[in-house]
Amino acid sequence: MFFRILNQIEESIICILLVTTTLLVFMDVVMRFGFNAGFLWSQELTLHMSAWMVLFGTSYCLKVGSHIGMDAFVKLFPLIGRKILTGIGCVLGLIYCGLVLYGSWIYLSKMHKIGIHLEDLPIPTWVAHGMLLVGFSMLTIRLVILFWSVIFGDTDGFRHADEAKESLELADKIKGEGTL
Amino acid sequence: MTTIALFILLFGCMMLGVPIALALGLSSIATILMFSNDSLASIALKLFESLSKHYTLLAIPFFIMSSAFLSTGGVAKRIIRFATSVVGHIKGGVAMASVMACMIFAAVSGSSPATVAAIGSICIVGMNKVGYPQSFGAGVITTAGTLGILIPPSIVMLVYSAATEVSAARMFMAGFLPGLMMGFMLMIAIYVVAYIRKIPSQPWTGFKEVFLSGWSALGGLMLIIIVLGSIYGGIASPTEAAAVSAVYAFGIAIFGYRDIGPMRNQPWKKEGEGVASMIVRNTYQIILTLPKCVFDKDVNKVLVDASKVSIMLLFIIANAMLFAHVLTTERIPHSLASIIVELGLSPWMFLIVVNLLLLAAGNFMEPSAILLIMAPILFPIAEQLGIDPIHLGIIMVVNMEIGMLTPPVGLNLFVTAGITGKSMGWVIKAALPWLLLMLVFLGLITYIPQISLFLPEFIDKLHGY
Repeated sequence: MFFRILNQIEESIICILLVTTTLLVFMDVVMRFGFNAGFLWSQELTLHMSAWMVLFGTSYCLKVGSHIGMDAFVKLFPLIGRKILTGIGCVLGLIYCGLVLYGSWIYLSKMHKIGIHLEDLPIPTWVAHGMLLVGFSMLTIRLVILFWSVIFGDTDGFRHADEAKESLELADKIKGEGTL
Repeated sequence: MTTIALFILLFGCMMLGVPIALALGLSSIATILMFSNDSLASIALKLFESLSKHYTLLAIPFFIMSSAFLSTGGVAKRIIRFATSVVGHIKGGVAMASVMACMIFAAVSGSSPATVAAIGSICIVGMNKVGYPQSFGAGVITTAGTLGILIPPSIVMLVYSAATEVSAARMFMAGFLPGLMMGFMLMIAIYVVAYIRKIPSQPWTGFKEVFLSGWSALGGLMLIIIVLGSIYGGIASPTEAAAVSAVYAFGIAIFGYRDIGPMRNQPWKKEGEGVASMIVRNTYQIILTLPKCVFDKDVNKVLVDASKVSIMLLFIIANAMLFAHVLTTERIPHSLASIIVELGLSPWMFLIVVNLLLLAAGNFMEPSAILLIMAPILFPIAEQLGIDPIHLGIIMVVNMEIGMLTPPVGLNLFVTAGITGKSMGWVIKAALPWLLLMLVFLGLITYIPQISLFLPEFIDKLHGY
């Protein structure tokens, strides 16, 4: 139950960011062509919102397995080999997260000390760029969960997106509807 | 030394099945830490800025969203009906119509596997009915489906322009003629086959059917017209055009076609309803259903799917920019370029190497991942040899198309195998003759740069540059 609500919240935040970004750019276009006016702040806001969406959503993507990668090599091994290789992969991923987290911490605390704001928006830079910490912390947690289930559970690999399988769902739907 | 460390780390991570985004990020950061003086703080800033400083990149989520709304069976059927009414009466018309439908749907959806799935699940059976062998239909659709990444708007082209900072608008102009040319080459081949096999043509259904089906397909066609018109006319940037097309696609899918969403299966005109009452009823229904969309299951699924793909792509791009940063600061492409110049390799020999390299890579990796890794390496070399960046981009995209037709990662092969229920071997054999045609096409594109460069240069001239 708790996880389902958490999932819902993650999905909603991601979708809201995507939709508002789209609508802002759309409004910008309408304002420019319809009224020959524009907002100074909208470009910076849309760009930051899309950056937040990516940083926030990347851990969600790891959970639902929509990142792309190669699994051909790992699949050559028996179960125990797959587990070991995936475990090493998780550790490497955690090192990556650790490095970025450490870097963002230094960077953000410097920004906090200087206290500068974004160019057009009255938001302190350390708040706007703070999503680095949030996003990579969440990614770290996901990787730890994955690592845990590689060792103690039955996970034996990263789940990758399969565009072919998704397209086949569309084909099934069309076949279900019948032809012209 | 740096180069070797970078690539060993990158490919090592990828072999372990680590998502490509993480593999790119880790290998670049590790290389920076080992061989240069950049601080981790500056890397973190760079990572954020690669997401928040590139306005063109915003077009990617917008186009993905608009295609997610319009990649439905209903849109595919309308486009097929329109294509059949236009070319169905020519010899080999049914197969030609499916190629034309693939071209239109590819432009709307921007995704090759989705095109094969949507058009193929209807057209392969349809072609079989009028006398083509099933393998013929499967081969045609599998190949024509790859046009999705060549005919603009194309996500892969946006990724290329993100990796090289070539104008996305110019890439979109450059892809148009090659896309049409590939379509015509397929149609000519079909005509020849149909002539030899004496396949009967369909009766001409008249201009009325062309207009009627054209009107019903207009919802999808308008998307292409909006995007290409505004970009070619120079009135909007790709990002703005993409945002408009996303909002438009939402409107047409939910309120126009009503294939998905809260108004599903509600007819525009009920039986025995007058025009005035129809307009009034539809207007208040649309206004009433607009807030319902927020909680609608179909709409939410489309949004979640679109954001998953966008986040995955943008996160790879962010990390790939770190990778490109390492490449440039370590001057890896430049040293490669000077080696090539010293060897006396002329541009055409370099292009052969590029093609072979990309064809090989296409067997193992996804198009956007290949572009993000290869483009920053090949781009500076090509520049030094005097090859136009736009031309290089189109060559890379055509190579990626071929990559979708070759095992083991050829996405289109998997999809065709899925919809026909045949084995991979059968599909590979069915697609083989068409793959050879694609290779001829690749040769033409590679050695006649004017095919790609004519339209962008022509439009520049129109705008008076």
